[in-house]
Amino acid sequence: MKKLEEVLKDWEAVIGLEVHAELTTLNTKMFCGCKLEFGADPNTHTCPVCLGLPGALPVPNKAAIESIVLAGLATNCDIEKHSMFYRKNYMYPDMAKNFQTTQGPVAFCMRGHLDLDVDGKAANERIDLGGIAVGDSGEAGSTAENVTVTEDGYVAHVGIERIHMEEDAGKMIHVGGGEGRIAGATHSLVDYNRAGTPLIELVTQPDLRTPEEARLFMQKLRQIYLAIGISDCSMEEGSLRCDGNVSLRRRGQKGLGTKTELKNMNSFKNLHDGLAYEICRQAEVLEEGGIIYQETRHWDPSKKRTIVMRVKETADDYRLFPEPDLAPYDLSDEWIEGVRAKLPELPDQKAKRFAADFGLSSYDARHLVDHRETAKFFEDCMAQGATAKLAKPLANLVINDLYAYLNANDVSLDECPFTPARAVELVKLLAEDAISSKQGKEVFAAVMEEGKDPSAIVEERGMKQVSDTGAIEAVVDAVIAANPDEVASYKGGNTKIIGFFVGQCMKEMKGQGNPKLINQTLAKKLNS
Amino acid sequence: MTTFGSMDVSSIQTGLTNKEFSAREVAEASLARVEASDEKVHAFLEITRDLALRAADRVDAAVASGNLLAAGPLAGVPVAFKDNMNLEGTHTTCSSRMLENYVSPYTATCVARIIDAGGIPLGKTNMDEFAFGSSTETSAFGCTSNPWDLGRVPGGSSGGSAAAVAAGQCTISLGSDTGGSIRQPASFCGVVGIKPTYGTVSRYGVVAFGSSLDQVGPFARNVRDAALAMNALAGRDVLDCTSQDVTTDFLANLGEGVKGMRIGVVREFMEAEGLQPEVKAKVAEAIAKLEEMGAEIVEVELPNAHAAISAYYVLGPCEAFSNLARFDSVRYGYCDPGHKDLGGQYEASRSKGFGAEARRRIMLGSYLLSSGVYDKYYYPAQQVRTLITKDYTEAFEKVSCIIAPAAPRTAFKFGEISEPAEMYLSDMYTISINIAGNGGMSMPIGLGAETGMPVGTQLIAPPFKDENMLRVAAALESVYGAAPVAPAFADGKLGE
Amino acid sequence: MTQHVTESDVRGIAEYARIGLNDDEVAQMTVDLNNVIDTLKPITEYDLEGVEPTFHPIGDLSNVMREDVEVEGFSQEVALSNAPKQQDGQFLIPSILGEGGDR
Repeated sequence: MKKLEEVLKDWEAVIGLEVHAELTTLNTKMFCGCKLEFGADPNTHTCPVCLGLPGALPVPNKAAIESIVLAGLATNCDIEKHSMFYRKNYMYPDMAKNFQTTQGPVAFCMRGHLDLDVDGKAANERIDLGGIAVGDSGEAGSTAENVTVTEDGYVAHVGIERIHMEEDAGKMIHVGGGEGRIAGATHSLVDYNRAGTPLIELVTQPDLRTPEEARLFMQKLRQIYLAIGISDCSMEEGSLRCDGNVSLRRRGQKGLGTKTELKNMNSFKNLHDGLAYEICRQAEVLEEGGIIYQETRHWDPSKKRTIVMRVKETADDYRLFPEPDLAPYDLSDEWIEGVRAKLPELPDQKAKRFAADFGLSSYDARHLVDHRETAKFFEDCMAQGATAKLAKPLANLVINDLYAYLNANDVSLDECPFTPARAVELVKLLAEDAISSKQGKEVFAAVMEEGKDPSAIVEERGMKQVSDTGAIEAVVDAVIAANPDEVASYKGGNTKIIGFFVGQCMKEMKGQGNPKLINQTLAKKLNS
Repeated sequence: MTTFGSMDVSSIQTGLTNKEFSAREVAEASLARVEASDEKVHAFLEITRDLALRAADRVDAAVASGNLLAAGPLAGVPVAFKDNMNLEGTHTTCSSRMLENYVSPYTATCVARIIDAGGIPLGKTNMDEFAFGSSTETSAFGCTSNPWDLGRVPGGSSGGSAAAVAAGQCTISLGSDTGGSIRQPASFCGVVGIKPTYGTVSRYGVVAFGSSLDQVGPFARNVRDAALAMNALAGRDVLDCTSQDVTTDFLANLGEGVKGMRIGVVREFMEAEGLQPEVKAKVAEAIAKLEEMGAEIVEVELPNAHAAISAYYVLGPCEAFSNLARFDSVRYGYCDPGHKDLGGQYEASRSKGFGAEARRRIMLGSYLLSSGVYDKYYYPAQQVRTLITKDYTEAFEKVSCIIAPAAPRTAFKFGEISEPAEMYLSDMYTISINIAGNGGMSMPIGLGAETGMPVGTQLIAPPFKDENMLRVAAALESVYGAAPVAPAFADGKLGE
Repeated sequence: MTQHVTESDVRGIAEYARIGLNDDEVAQMTVDLNNVIDTLKPITEYDLEGVEPTFHPIGDLSNVMREDVEVEGFSQEVALSNAPKQQDGQFLIPSILGEGGDR
């Protein structure tokens, strides 16, 4: 099979996403007062309504309706004042009523969009924009379909068709087959604790063109949902789930190919890799003269391939009709404005503010707000009295070191001893050249390990960086005197050998010499 | 032995207050009478002895404390519930094999309100399976007989509840009405039966047939008892989104008479082809009596009512198809044994668990909602509903109540009607009211000249003005008297 | 009588509604459904141009909701009390795919 970058030279991928988010921050289910709780004993959070007992009736959770409207406002959707719930009828054992209560042609939120900043390596997959050279070849501000080229990449404009309100199904365990899979199972067990969990489904327009864009869309959407506090957005626990629709068309063509639906992409990496695989698979089939069947495929991350789950021979006929047990909605402007007032600062707004207030590049600002935790940490640092000059190194510390550490060690910020005050102290030490950047890394690691202030660690370890020009000159002179052959070589044109001298000086100074000053002094002396 | 179920609320409560008998005696005697008389009537599917005694003891405690009504306005009254109403710890079978062994883990709001009002629950009554029928013949657990003629049907689907009141087994019972299932059996059994305006009584805990059509209401042998039950039943329930904040006192205007009241008559209804002469004659007589009492009889038109049956046989089955999907052998209900795959278990369980009429309605609904067909029937049926509703709105600009037949005929013999489409005509006078949603009731007005069976007239009120029809009913009662217990069961007789 | 549904249609509908019917039952059901569908004719003969549907009777109700407050539900034992088959606190069902199943 060809590699993605090869495939994308000839083919354009057309990708749409369906993103389900459980409203996990609510107390109760969508249509009954049962507690929302992940991981409870099976069937301990049920009642007549969510067990679908005969005679039970649904009553919608007001907070869930507020949450979806909040999500719509945060994703630039129009809020529909008049909408209804519908019944989507099909029998499946995890759905207690054997119909899903969902919305019909009109959802609470319609016609939204998100703009994705695609930069750096992420822009490579966009072959039509020149791939990696996008910054060079594409002219900033020029537009291709739904795309605006920027200095370090491009902005993709992704349409959102709708966000509708529905309810989650129960959970099933399949027994007797391999690895809990449904195929080969002799029987299954059903737990309805999750049944009736408020669920919002966002459907994008087929505006995405690369797996990277799909990943970035999901990441951005997740940031937004986390910022507005409607879900814990755990892809692992399934509170944020994503299905992808993919089809290919030859570059330059306008029509759409047959699409497949991809499921089980339960991490950002799986989303990217699953889509990438599916694009390559479809290209191979098409290039060999085969046809793509409209089918649902399952991404198997361990085998790194997609497998068929279900062939759709005919369009599903869910016999949708308006839910007679639920009153329709007639939302007032006043009510909608009341929800709007609850909108917090969104990641895009925060990034703009960071750039404007702290003089950060838009790249740094965007990556700082990638994660709510680290964005807040950065803000706390700035509030600790860090000067504007420290903003850039602080941003780097947060984006690179801190986030990498949290990720690698799987800990949260409040679990680790690296406080904003300590971060500011460390950055100050670096800015004052009191320690080298290499020492900075060591101090960072030591703070994490020992839970002490950076200054205390520097003190204890005697790590003060020597920036005293007199002391440095003395060492440089001694090293030059001790290595006449190398001096001759340098003077003969082998200027690269300066690295050797730097190393020798550092060794003399037990690694505490200011490398910048050593370099400068060496160059001065050797060139004289 | 005193047959308390033959007494009205007022005489029972007088006897309790005067300590002529205790509520426990009422309960014991009523339970015994149900057991004895039910061999002939077969109105009951389950006797709830423990619950009856517990309720009675609560009433006796109130009597002992000197205030009977502290136990509620229905204190000491023997009551029964249609078997599609959940009552925790008892069966709710809907007269279906599907739910033969189902024990409710919760209680319907309407049931709770009657018991909280002091009613003594004797048991659960027979019905057409899942309320699909007009004769109670589709019950999986045998037919109920009409107490007025044991060879005839009691009507349906709430046939058991109507028969229980007609046989004096209980004083008040509850039924549910989707297309006439309270009014038609009330007419057949010669008792008062009320289908309130949609939204007046909570549907929570009542097994759904047609969610936009179903409404719960009482049977009784006099208007006051029915109004007392309505007072207990009506009002907003937070567990039913379609229930409304109804605060009407249904007793308030029972004595006002009909003098000066404008009452509507629908010519097409009175001249309809299927209307039996004996029914037509009695209803015409009732109209004349109302006029004699000073009511102004006004002709009104319901030009779209003729399409109501068609709209109903679209909307009802569609909602039923969806409501009955939950009976899948997974969480409860009949589970056909021995299947190695779920599909096989589903199909066998639903095929054997549901009777023929239930299967037909589910199939019809599934067909009518399928893509392409939806636009031909379901959507237009909802538009026709708008027109029918408008007809009533316009009619009620001229009158405050409409009088019509409740059913086109008196009770028929078992097996007399077997064609589904013919059976569906039993509800020709009642269905349009479910479609529009307003209230209707059946009021007994004596016996038909030909069959000697009870005839009911239907009184129809504007939305949330159900007190209007009760006022007219009370006036008719002043002429015709309260409904008697069927002769074969009067004075303690057991159907001989 | 108009043939609205064929036996083949009826088999399809039964499959969707998950009701097992044998050949005789399919034949009878086809007759019954066609009879009933015939009586629905008045609905199809209306001129309904511009008429709004009434999905919810007795209008004016809207935005009926509850507060996000927990209400005590069933214990596991009660939840499973009517289960035809159960295991480890869960409802037990036979193989979903079965032999040659499509889901």
